[in-house]
Amino acid sequence: MDLDANRKLIATALRRIPGGDSAALQTLYRLTSAKLFGVALRILGEHGEAEDVLQEVFVTVWRKSADFDPARASPMTWLIAIARNRAIDRLRASRQSRRMEPIDQAAVVADSAIAADNALESAQDHARLHGCLDGLEARERNALRGAFFDGNTYEDLAARMSVPLGTMKSWIRRAMIKLKSCLEQ
Amino acid sequence: MSDTSDHSGKPFEDLPEDELLAAEYALGVLTGTDRAAAQRLLQRDRNFARMVAEWEQRLAPWAGEIVEVSPPPQVWEAIAAALPAAAPPSAGIWQSLAFWRGFALASALAAACLGGLIYLGAVKDAPPLIATIEGGGARVFVATIDARRGTVSVVPASYSADPTRVPELWLIPADGKPRALGLLRADRTVTIAIPPEFASQTVGNATLAVSLEPPGGSPTGAPTGPVIGAGKLTSL
Repeated sequence: MDLDANRKLIATALRRIPGGDSAALQTLYRLTSAKLFGVALRILGEHGEAEDVLQEVFVTVWRKSADFDPARASPMTWLIAIARNRAIDRLRASRQSRRMEPIDQAAVVADSAIAADNALESAQDHARLHGCLDGLEARERNALRGAFFDGNTYEDLAARMSVPLGTMKSWIRRAMIKLKSCLEQ
Repeated sequence: MSDTSDHSGKPFEDLPEDELLAAEYALGVLTGTDRAAAQRLLQRDRNFARMVAEWEQRLAPWAGEIVEVSPPPQVWEAIAAALPAAAPPSAGIWQSLAFWRGFALASALAAACLGGLIYLGAVKDAPPLIATIEGGGARVFVATIDARRGTVSVVPASYSADPTRVPELWLIPADGKPRALGLLRADRTVTIAIPPEFASQTVGNATLAVSLEPPGGSPTGAPTGPVIGAGKLTSL
Protein backbone atom coordinates (compact mmCIF):
# COMPACT_ATOMS: atom_id res chain seq x y z
CA MET A 1 0.00 0.00 0.00
CA ASP A 2 1.14 3.51 -0.75
CA LEU A 3 0.88 5.69 2.33
CA ASP A 4 2.30 8.71 0.59
CA ALA A 5 -0.42 8.49 -2.04
CA ASN A 6 -2.96 8.21 0.76
CA ARG A 7 -1.67 11.34 2.45
CA LYS A 8 -1.55 13.20 -0.87
CA LEU A 9 -5.13 12.24 -1.56
CA ILE A 10 -6.19 13.62 1.83
CA ALA A 11 -4.29 16.85 1.14
CA THR A 12 -5.79 17.15 -2.35
CA ALA A 13 -9.33 16.66 -1.05
CA LEU A 14 -8.79 19.22 1.70
CA ARG A 15 -7.50 21.78 -0.83
CA ARG A 16 -10.59 21.40 -3.00
CA ILE A 17 -13.11 21.98 -0.20
CA PRO A 18 -12.81 25.80 0.07
CA GLY A 19 -14.13 26.02 -3.50
CA GLY A 20 -17.38 24.44 -2.32
CA ASP A 21 -16.61 20.96 -3.66
CA SER A 22 -18.81 18.64 -1.62
CA ALA A 23 -17.45 15.58 -3.43
CA ALA A 24 -14.03 16.50 -2.01
CA LEU A 25 -15.54 16.64 1.47
CA GLN A 26 -17.01 13.21 0.92
CA THR A 27 -13.65 11.89 -0.27
CA LEU A 28 -12.02 13.32 2.83
CA TYR A 29 -14.72 11.72 4.96
CA ARG A 30 -14.13 8.34 3.33
CA LEU A 31 -10.41 8.56 3.94
CA THR A 32 -10.38 9.87 7.52
CA SER A 33 -13.72 9.33 9.29
CA ALA A 34 -12.85 5.95 10.83
CA LYS A 35 -9.76 7.38 12.52
CA LEU A 36 -11.51 10.55 13.66
CA PHE A 37 -14.50 8.56 14.93
CA GLY A 38 -12.08 6.35 16.86
CA VAL A 39 -10.49 9.44 18.43
CA ALA A 40 -13.86 10.90 19.51
CA LEU A 41 -15.13 7.54 20.71
CA ARG A 42 -12.05 6.99 22.82
CA ILE A 43 -12.56 10.31 24.60
CA LEU A 44 -16.35 10.24 24.89
CA GLY A 45 -16.81 6.51 25.39
CA GLU A 46 -20.24 6.57 23.79
CA HIS A 47 -21.29 6.06 20.17
CA GLY A 48 -24.11 8.63 20.00
CA GLU A 49 -21.95 11.46 21.32
CA ALA A 50 -19.00 10.46 19.15
CA GLU A 51 -21.28 10.47 16.09
CA ASP A 52 -22.44 14.01 16.94
CA VAL A 53 -18.82 15.10 17.29
CA LEU A 54 -17.84 13.50 13.98
CA GLN A 55 -20.64 15.39 12.29
CA GLU A 56 -19.51 18.66 13.91
CA VAL A 57 -15.94 17.97 12.78
CA PHE A 58 -16.85 17.64 9.11
CA VAL A 59 -19.25 20.59 9.14
CA THR A 60 -16.40 22.60 10.71
CA VAL A 61 -14.00 21.35 8.04
CA TRP A 62 -16.49 22.36 5.35
CA ARG A 63 -16.72 25.89 6.75
CA LYS A 64 -13.14 26.39 7.88
CA SER A 65 -11.05 24.46 5.39
CA ALA A 66 -9.63 27.76 4.10
CA ASP A 67 -8.01 28.19 7.54
CA PHE A 68 -5.93 25.07 7.09
CA ASP A 69 -2.30 26.06 6.69
CA PRO A 70 -0.18 23.26 5.20
CA ALA A 71 2.97 25.05 6.33
CA ARG A 72 1.86 24.68 9.93
CA ALA A 73 0.39 21.19 10.22
CA SER A 74 -0.23 18.08 8.17
CA PRO A 75 -3.87 17.59 7.13
CA MET A 76 -4.25 14.62 9.47
CA THR A 77 -2.80 16.51 12.43
CA TRP A 78 -5.22 19.35 11.77
CA LEU A 79 -8.19 16.99 11.55
CA ILE A 80 -7.20 15.01 14.65
CA ALA A 81 -6.82 18.25 16.61
CA ILE A 82 -10.30 19.39 15.55
CA ALA A 83 -11.77 16.01 16.52
CA ARG A 84 -10.01 15.94 19.89
CA ASN A 85 -11.00 19.51 20.73
CA ARG A 86 -14.63 19.01 19.74
CA ALA A 87 -14.77 15.82 21.80
CA ILE A 88 -13.09 17.50 24.77
CA ASP A 89 -15.45 20.52 24.60
CA ARG A 90 -18.40 18.15 24.67
CA LEU A 91 -16.92 16.14 27.53
CA ARG A 92 -16.27 19.29 29.58
CA ALA A 93 -19.80 20.55 28.95
CA SER A 94 -21.45 17.37 30.10
CA ARG A 95 -19.51 15.76 32.88
CA GLN A 96 -16.16 14.57 34.06
CA SER A 97 -14.09 12.23 31.96
CA ARG A 98 -15.46 8.77 31.36
CA ARG A 99 -12.36 6.93 32.37
CA MET A 100 -11.66 7.64 36.02
CA GLU A 101 -10.28 4.39 37.38
CA PRO A 102 -7.07 4.82 39.39
CA ILE A 103 -3.81 4.93 37.44
CA ASP A 104 -0.85 3.27 39.07
CA GLN A 105 1.86 5.91 39.02
CA ALA A 106 4.62 3.42 38.44
CA ALA A 107 2.77 1.17 36.01
CA VAL A 108 4.83 0.69 32.93
CA VAL A 109 2.66 1.03 29.88
CA ALA A 110 4.41 -0.65 27.03
CA ASP A 111 4.00 2.28 24.72
CA SER A 112 6.25 1.29 21.90
CA ALA A 113 4.96 -2.27 21.99
CA ILE A 114 1.49 -1.18 20.96
CA ALA A 115 1.19 -1.71 17.26
CA ALA A 116 0.45 1.62 15.73
CA ASP A 117 -1.69 2.09 12.73
CA ASN A 118 0.57 4.34 10.78
CA ALA A 119 -1.63 4.81 7.79
CA LEU A 120 -2.15 8.48 8.40
CA GLU A 121 1.03 9.65 10.06
CA SER A 122 4.48 8.53 9.15
CA ALA A 123 5.96 5.58 10.97
CA GLN A 124 9.07 7.65 11.51
CA ASP A 125 7.21 10.39 13.42
CA HIS A 126 5.49 7.74 15.48
CA ALA A 127 8.73 5.98 16.37
CA ARG A 128 10.34 9.28 17.33
CA LEU A 129 7.48 10.29 19.63
CA HIS A 130 7.56 6.88 21.28
CA GLY A 131 11.28 7.03 21.75
CA CYS A 132 10.84 10.32 23.60
CA LEU A 133 7.83 9.12 25.62
CA ASP A 134 9.85 6.11 26.72
CA GLY A 135 12.44 8.55 28.07
CA LEU A 136 9.91 10.06 30.49
CA GLU A 137 9.29 8.74 33.97
CA ALA A 138 6.47 6.22 34.13
CA ARG A 139 4.22 8.56 36.13
CA GLU A 140 4.74 11.38 33.63
CA ARG A 141 3.98 9.15 30.67
CA ASN A 142 0.91 7.71 32.39
CA ALA A 143 -0.42 11.20 33.10
CA LEU A 144 0.11 12.29 29.48
CA ARG A 145 -1.64 9.15 28.24
CA GLY A 146 -4.67 9.83 30.45
CA ALA A 147 -4.88 13.35 29.06
CA PHE A 148 -4.35 12.50 25.40
CA PHE A 149 -6.41 9.33 25.11
CA ASP A 150 -9.09 9.72 27.78
CA GLY A 151 -9.52 13.51 27.68
CA ASN A 152 -8.67 13.75 31.39
CA THR A 153 -8.26 17.20 32.97
CA TYR A 154 -5.58 18.12 35.49
CA GLU A 155 -8.18 17.51 38.21
CA ASP A 156 -9.12 14.09 36.79
CA LEU A 157 -5.50 13.04 36.57
CA ALA A 158 -4.70 14.23 40.10
CA ALA A 159 -7.63 12.13 41.36
CA ARG A 160 -6.74 9.08 39.28
CA MET A 161 -3.12 9.13 40.40
CA SER A 162 -3.86 10.26 43.98
CA VAL A 163 -1.61 13.32 44.03
CA PRO A 164 -2.33 17.01 44.75
CA LEU A 165 -3.41 19.12 41.78
CA GLY A 166 -0.23 21.20 41.91
CA THR A 167 1.92 18.10 41.74
CA MET A 168 0.03 16.88 38.68
CA LYS A 169 0.52 20.24 36.97
CA SER A 170 4.23 20.02 37.69
CA TRP A 171 4.48 16.52 36.27
CA ILE A 172 2.64 17.38 33.09
CA ARG A 173 4.47 20.63 32.46
CA ARG A 174 7.85 19.06 33.13
CA ALA A 175 6.96 16.10 30.90
CA MET A 176 5.97 18.44 28.06
CA ILE A 177 9.24 20.39 28.41
CA LYS A 178 11.24 17.15 28.26
CA LEU A 179 9.18 15.92 25.34
CA LYS A 180 9.79 19.05 23.30
CA SER A 181 13.49 19.03 24.02
CA CYS A 182 13.76 15.34 23.10
CA LEU A 183 11.77 15.75 19.85
CA GLU A 184 13.94 18.66 18.79
CA GLN A 185 17.14 16.68 19.06
CA MET B 1 2.13 26.73 40.22
CA SER B 2 1.48 25.90 43.85
CA ASP B 3 3.69 22.84 43.95
CA THR B 4 6.99 22.62 42.20
CA SER B 5 8.43 20.14 44.69
CA ASP B 6 8.77 17.28 42.27
CA HIS B 7 11.89 15.18 42.15
CA SER B 8 14.12 17.89 40.69
CA GLY B 9 12.59 20.85 42.48
CA LYS B 10 13.41 23.01 39.46
CA PRO B 11 11.03 25.80 38.50
CA PHE B 12 9.63 25.90 34.99
CA GLU B 13 12.18 28.19 33.55
CA ASP B 14 12.76 26.13 30.42
CA LEU B 15 9.71 27.30 28.49
CA PRO B 16 7.81 30.60 28.52
CA GLU B 17 4.41 30.57 30.20
CA ASP B 18 2.47 31.06 26.94
CA GLU B 19 4.16 28.07 25.38
CA LEU B 20 3.30 25.95 28.42
CA LEU B 21 -0.32 27.10 28.06
CA ALA B 22 -0.18 26.12 24.36
CA ALA B 23 1.13 22.67 25.36
CA GLU B 24 -1.59 22.24 27.99
CA TYR B 25 -4.27 23.28 25.53
CA ALA B 26 -3.01 20.92 22.82
CA LEU B 27 -2.83 18.07 25.33
CA GLY B 28 -6.36 18.88 26.52
CA VAL B 29 -5.89 19.09 30.29
CA LEU B 30 -7.33 22.58 30.78
CA THR B 31 -10.81 23.22 32.14
CA GLY B 32 -13.32 26.03 32.40
CA THR B 33 -11.89 29.53 32.27
CA ASP B 34 -8.34 28.32 31.52
CA ARG B 35 -9.52 26.43 28.44
CA ALA B 36 -11.76 29.31 27.36
CA ALA B 37 -8.85 31.77 27.78
CA ALA B 38 -6.60 29.55 25.64
CA GLN B 39 -9.32 29.34 22.96
CA ARG B 40 -9.66 33.15 22.90
CA LEU B 41 -5.89 33.55 22.63
CA LEU B 42 -5.89 31.04 19.79
CA GLN B 43 -8.29 33.26 17.84
CA ARG B 44 -6.38 36.50 18.15
CA ASP B 45 -2.71 35.68 18.77
CA ARG B 46 -0.97 34.21 15.73
CA ASN B 47 2.11 33.36 17.71
CA PHE B 48 0.08 31.41 20.25
CA ALA B 49 -1.83 29.68 17.45
CA ARG B 50 1.48 28.65 15.88
CA MET B 51 2.70 27.19 19.21
CA VAL B 52 -0.54 25.23 19.65
CA ALA B 53 -0.20 23.88 16.08
CA GLU B 54 3.38 22.83 16.81
CA TRP B 55 2.28 20.97 19.94
CA GLU B 56 -0.54 19.31 18.04
CA GLN B 57 1.99 18.18 15.45
CA ARG B 58 4.25 16.76 18.17
CA LEU B 59 1.43 14.78 19.78
CA ALA B 60 -0.50 13.74 16.65
CA PRO B 61 1.54 10.58 15.90
CA TRP B 62 0.18 9.18 19.17
CA ALA B 63 -3.24 8.98 17.54
CA GLY B 64 -1.80 6.19 15.39
CA GLU B 65 -2.50 3.94 18.39
CA ILE B 66 -6.21 4.70 18.38
CA VAL B 67 -8.24 1.96 16.75
CA GLU B 68 -10.20 3.03 13.69
CA VAL B 69 -13.94 2.57 14.02
CA SER B 70 -16.24 2.90 11.01
CA PRO B 71 -19.00 5.37 11.80
CA PRO B 72 -22.58 4.39 10.86
CA PRO B 73 -23.78 5.71 7.47
CA GLN B 74 -26.26 8.17 8.96
CA VAL B 75 -23.35 10.37 10.10
CA TRP B 76 -22.38 11.18 6.52
CA GLU B 77 -26.03 11.64 5.63
CA ALA B 78 -26.39 14.20 8.42
CA ILE B 79 -23.24 16.01 7.27
CA ALA B 80 -24.42 16.07 3.64
CA ALA B 81 -27.80 17.42 4.79
CA ALA B 82 -26.07 20.22 6.71
CA LEU B 83 -24.19 21.48 3.65
CA PRO B 84 -25.79 24.35 1.74
CA ALA B 85 -27.99 23.23 -1.13
CA ALA B 86 -25.77 25.20 -3.49
CA ALA B 87 -22.90 22.86 -2.71
CA PRO B 88 -22.84 20.76 -5.92
CA PRO B 89 -20.67 22.59 -8.44
CA SER B 90 -22.52 24.30 -11.28
CA ALA B 91 -22.90 22.83 -14.74
CA GLY B 92 -20.28 25.28 -16.02
CA ILE B 93 -17.55 23.55 -14.06
CA TRP B 94 -18.68 20.10 -15.08
CA GLN B 95 -18.48 21.00 -18.75
CA SER B 96 -15.01 22.48 -18.54
CA LEU B 97 -12.37 20.34 -20.22
CA ALA B 98 -9.66 21.49 -17.81
CA PHE B 99 -11.81 20.36 -14.92
CA TRP B 100 -12.32 16.95 -16.47
CA ARG B 101 -8.62 16.48 -17.07
CA GLY B 102 -7.95 17.31 -13.45
CA PHE B 103 -10.77 15.12 -12.28
CA ALA B 104 -9.60 12.14 -14.33
CA LEU B 105 -6.16 12.55 -12.81
CA ALA B 106 -7.55 12.75 -9.29
CA SER B 107 -9.71 9.72 -9.94
CA ALA B 108 -6.76 7.74 -11.25
CA LEU B 109 -4.86 8.67 -8.12
CA ALA B 110 -7.86 7.63 -6.04
CA ALA B 111 -7.92 4.29 -7.80
CA ALA B 112 -4.17 3.85 -7.36
CA CYS B 113 -4.45 4.38 -3.66
CA LEU B 114 -7.65 2.45 -3.16
CA GLY B 115 -5.53 -0.65 -2.82
CA GLY B 116 -3.90 0.76 0.25
CA LEU B 117 -7.19 1.78 1.82
CA ILE B 118 -8.79 -1.52 1.13
CA TYR B 119 -5.84 -3.32 2.57
CA LEU B 120 -6.36 -1.42 5.83
CA GLY B 121 -10.04 -2.28 5.90
CA ALA B 122 -9.21 -5.91 5.28
CA VAL B 123 -7.60 -6.22 8.67
CA LYS B 124 -11.00 -5.95 10.28
CA ASP B 125 -13.39 -7.15 7.61
CA ALA B 126 -13.77 -9.81 4.96
CA PRO B 127 -11.40 -9.33 2.02
CA PRO B 128 -12.92 -6.57 -0.13
CA LEU B 129 -13.41 -6.89 -3.86
CA ILE B 130 -12.50 -4.31 -6.43
CA ALA B 131 -13.28 -4.01 -10.13
CA THR B 132 -11.66 -1.60 -12.52
CA ILE B 133 -14.28 -0.99 -15.17
CA GLU B 134 -12.44 -0.32 -18.42
CA GLY B 135 -13.56 0.25 -21.97
CA GLY B 136 -12.11 1.83 -25.08
CA GLY B 137 -8.66 1.77 -23.52
CA ALA B 138 -9.70 3.91 -20.55
CA ARG B 139 -10.66 3.28 -16.97
CA VAL B 140 -14.22 4.59 -16.81
CA PHE B 141 -15.23 3.68 -13.26
CA VAL B 142 -13.72 1.93 -10.25
CA ALA B 143 -16.02 -0.17 -8.07
CA THR B 144 -15.40 -1.60 -4.62
CA ILE B 145 -17.61 -4.06 -2.80
CA ASP B 146 -18.09 -3.79 0.93
CA ALA B 147 -19.33 -7.30 1.70
CA ARG B 148 -19.98 -6.53 5.35
CA ARG B 149 -22.34 -3.67 4.54
CA GLY B 150 -23.57 -5.28 1.34
CA THR B 151 -22.79 -2.23 -0.78
CA VAL B 152 -20.90 -1.39 -3.94
CA SER B 153 -19.27 2.05 -4.23
CA VAL B 154 -18.49 3.28 -7.71
CA VAL B 155 -16.07 6.15 -8.31
CA PRO B 156 -16.16 7.86 -11.73
CA ALA B 157 -12.75 7.93 -13.42
CA SER B 158 -12.56 8.98 -17.07
CA TYR B 159 -16.28 8.69 -17.71
CA SER B 160 -17.69 11.82 -19.38
CA ALA B 161 -21.33 12.66 -18.87
CA ASP B 162 -23.61 11.91 -21.80
CA PRO B 163 -26.40 14.49 -22.12
CA THR B 164 -29.07 12.01 -23.18
CA ARG B 165 -28.19 8.78 -21.46
CA VAL B 166 -27.23 7.61 -17.97
CA PRO B 167 -24.63 5.01 -16.96
CA GLU B 168 -26.11 1.88 -15.39
CA LEU B 169 -24.15 -0.71 -13.41
CA TRP B 170 -24.66 -4.42 -14.03
CA LEU B 171 -23.51 -7.51 -12.18
CA ILE B 172 -22.70 -10.39 -14.53
CA PRO B 173 -22.06 -13.57 -12.51
CA ALA B 174 -20.90 -16.98 -13.82
CA ASP B 175 -24.18 -17.62 -15.67
CA GLY B 176 -23.51 -14.61 -17.90
CA LYS B 177 -26.88 -12.99 -17.24
CA PRO B 178 -26.69 -9.27 -16.32
CA ARG B 179 -28.46 -8.12 -13.16
CA ALA B 180 -29.18 -4.39 -12.75
CA LEU B 181 -27.49 -2.86 -9.70
CA GLY B 182 -28.28 0.82 -10.18
CA LEU B 183 -27.53 4.10 -11.91
CA LEU B 184 -24.14 5.78 -11.66
CA ARG B 185 -23.12 9.41 -11.71
CA ALA B 186 -20.41 11.17 -13.70
CA ASP B 187 -19.84 13.74 -10.98
CA ARG B 188 -19.58 11.75 -7.79
CA THR B 189 -19.20 8.41 -6.08
CA VAL B 190 -22.39 6.42 -5.85
CA THR B 191 -22.90 3.76 -3.18
CA ILE B 192 -25.53 1.17 -4.03
CA ALA B 193 -27.00 -1.43 -1.68
CA ILE B 194 -26.60 -4.82 -3.34
CA PRO B 195 -29.98 -6.63 -3.40
CA PRO B 196 -29.69 -9.55 -0.95
CA GLU B 197 -30.59 -12.06 -3.68
CA PHE B 198 -27.46 -11.03 -5.61
CA ALA B 199 -25.12 -11.17 -2.61
CA SER B 200 -24.06 -14.76 -3.20
CA GLN B 201 -23.15 -13.87 -6.80
CA THR B 202 -21.14 -10.80 -5.91
CA VAL B 203 -17.92 -12.74 -5.62
CA GLY B 204 -14.46 -12.82 -7.16
CA ASN B 205 -14.46 -13.33 -10.94
CA ALA B 206 -17.99 -12.01 -11.38
CA THR B 207 -18.01 -9.11 -13.84
CA LEU B 208 -19.25 -5.59 -13.31
CA ALA B 209 -20.25 -3.75 -16.48
CA VAL B 210 -21.61 -0.30 -17.28
CA SER B 211 -24.01 0.43 -20.14
CA LEU B 212 -25.59 3.67 -21.31
CA GLU B 213 -29.34 3.69 -20.79
CA PRO B 214 -32.22 6.12 -21.15
CA PRO B 215 -32.80 8.45 -18.17
CA GLY B 216 -34.23 6.36 -15.33
CA GLY B 217 -32.35 3.26 -16.43
CA SER B 218 -32.97 0.32 -18.70
CA PRO B 219 -36.71 -0.13 -19.25
CA THR B 220 -36.35 -3.87 -19.86
CA GLY B 221 -34.24 -5.04 -16.92
CA ALA B 222 -31.41 -5.94 -19.31
CA PRO B 223 -28.83 -3.64 -20.91
CA THR B 224 -30.34 -1.85 -23.93
CA GLY B 225 -27.58 0.62 -24.77
CA PRO B 226 -23.86 0.30 -25.53
CA VAL B 227 -21.62 -1.27 -22.90
CA ILE B 228 -18.93 1.32 -22.23
CA GLY B 229 -16.80 -0.71 -19.86
CA ALA B 230 -16.44 -3.92 -17.86
CA GLY B 231 -14.11 -5.42 -15.29
CA LYS B 232 -13.81 -8.53 -13.14
CA LEU B 233 -14.11 -8.40 -9.37
CA THR B 234 -10.87 -9.39 -7.74
CA SER B 235 -9.90 -9.50 -4.10
CA LEU B 236 -6.83 -7.65 -2.95
